[in-house]
Amino acid sequence: MTTAVVPVAADAAGRESAPGRRRPRPRLAPHRRREALFFYLFISPWAIGFLVFLLGPMIFSFYLSFTDWDSFTAPVWVGLDNYITLLTDDPIFLKVMGNTAFYSLISVPLGMVVSLFIANLLNKKVRFRKLFRTLVYLPHLIPIVAVALIFQMVFAPEAGPLNQALALIGIEGPNWLMDARWVKPALILMSLWQAGGGTILLLAGMNGIPKELYEAAEIDGASGFRQFWSVTFPQLTPVIFFNLIMGIIGSFQVFAQVFILTGGGPDNASQMAVPMLFDEAFRFYHMGYGSAIAWILFVVIMIFTAIAFATSGRWVFYESEVRS
Amino acid sequence: MSATTTLPAASGAARRTRPRTLSAFRGGPFTYGMLVILSAIFMVPLVFVVSIALASDSTVSTGQLTILPRDWQFSNFVEIFRTSLPVGRFMINSVIIAVTSAIGQVLSSSLVGYAFARLRAPGKKGLFLIVIATMMVPAQITMIPQFWIFSELGWVDTFLPLIVPQFFSNAFNIFLVRQFVTRIPYEMDEAASIDGLGFFGIYVRLILPMMSPILIAIAIFTLTAMWGDFMGPLIYINSEEKMPLALGVQYLTSTSQELQTPPWNLIMVGSIFLSLPMIVIYYFGQKYMYEMNLSAGSAGVK
Repeated sequence: MTTAVVPVAADAAGRESAPGRRRPRPRLAPHRRREALFFYLFISPWAIGFLVFLLGPMIFSFYLSFTDWDSFTAPVWVGLDNYITLLTDDPIFLKVMGNTAFYSLISVPLGMVVSLFIANLLNKKVRFRKLFRTLVYLPHLIPIVAVALIFQMVFAPEAGPLNQALALIGIEGPNWLMDARWVKPALILMSLWQAGGGTILLLAGMNGIPKELYEAAEIDGASGFRQFWSVTFPQLTPVIFFNLIMGIIGSFQVFAQVFILTGGGPDNASQMAVPMLFDEAFRFYHMGYGSAIAWILFVVIMIFTAIAFATSGRWVFYESEVRS
Repeated sequence: MSATTTLPAASGAARRTRPRTLSAFRGGPFTYGMLVILSAIFMVPLVFVVSIALASDSTVSTGQLTILPRDWQFSNFVEIFRTSLPVGRFMINSVIIAVTSAIGQVLSSSLVGYAFARLRAPGKKGLFLIVIATMMVPAQITMIPQFWIFSELGWVDTFLPLIVPQFFSNAFNIFLVRQFVTRIPYEMDEAASIDGLGFFGIYVRLILPMMSPILIAIAIFTLTAMWGDFMGPLIYINSEEKMPLALGVQYLTSTSQELQTPPWNLIMVGSIFLSLPMIVIYYFGQKYMYEMNLSAGSAGVK
């Protein structure tokens, strides 16, 4: 009896459980009740954390965004005032959101191009492949605080290696972090230094592309670039797509780099959403105003995610054998 | 030529026996050239860090830094512990925070993930959808209320606001564990159950040991995230002797006297101390992180 039942149970294991498929009827109810009890007991760390650290705070934060609150006295209800002020009257908020979008929408796709380019080089049969891979990946391992401190020196106007390199080809480099026009490109350059982090996943994806496709392309006389564009790239789009969404969401929340390197300056040219939220909440104790910023940021992130998902069907190539 | 290549299977098999690389995988001078140039560009900032870390105080204050090391003043690596800031304490704090958090995540996520993979209960599907949905919520939304909760509890300027939430698992880790446990054959649970183990016994004695690869990955992920975390300590930690290294190193830049150049050589030594453990952990744990990346399709460990 049991031997006949086991494969069925194993087959459905872990996925959706078909109710009452395993035990004889009379014992089923108490056993299932016990199992359910254990389920709720086991997930209680998550459930408590969800209520105390996520759902509760989310509701509270939503409420706060309609109030004026300094965290010491009781919150004062102000209706939509925070949102209206932010969107129409705040001297810097729209600029800050513009900066954040500029940073995010340039650094993420550019980083993707860089890591794709490197991954494509490393996908070839080259000597010292492991060494090159490690060197390219290494910057990704450096904690962001250290990266920011390192690049404070890299961007130094005279002694910094960047301007020294530019001087070699006869260009006088700007004072990157003090120049309102160059501070955002500087932050983008810094993010590109860590772009090698994406290559590992792309390499894994490239490994899964059937070799027959390249064989066929070669027979058809496709050039190297053509093979990349018509075989590698379409086959990788699920990975690229996923990384783009995650990257954009992540870079909209950029904080430490801005806080350490520029403090938002000069003239708020590098001020971004989360550093501004931090300043409002923990420097000026405008907790209500800060909550409103957080919710606008949340909505913007959701919109980007939705756009990315909605348009994915047009350019993402899904095939089961792409992923191992 | 075309006649031989269009021949099916047989010639394909014959071709494969010859060691011939497809043009798409052949590395020419361009490939090597680009790899060397790119690796060099990626390495320049790191070499520069070492150069600054080994520079003497006078080189730093006069700004005569070079990309390649010139001074070789290794005493900076000792000098950093003699500043007015407790750098040794920073490191111990970082280790305490990162290790406790990793333990918390491993314990809680493995238990919750196991329950979602194996136990049946009404409402489970809906709860799992909530778990997935919480991944979309940015941390900034809950930052202000959490600060209020922790300050009401009197936990500000302690490690607790950083560590305690880690004992309540997180959605991404639950997802990873669930995916992993789903791949373990259910017959093992059945056998253990027949042998008289309860659900908790199956979890502790059977599933937990088998989960170790994914748990190591989660531990590494939590360690690196907490070690490098800047915003959390910035919000919650005020006193110097409680700062973790990520905050403390940054603090070094701001404590120097007015109009005086910050001690960049020591700051870079601090940055090296901050970065080296991450590189070591990656070196020993890369196969586990690789597994996690593949099973979750994540954008990498960050």
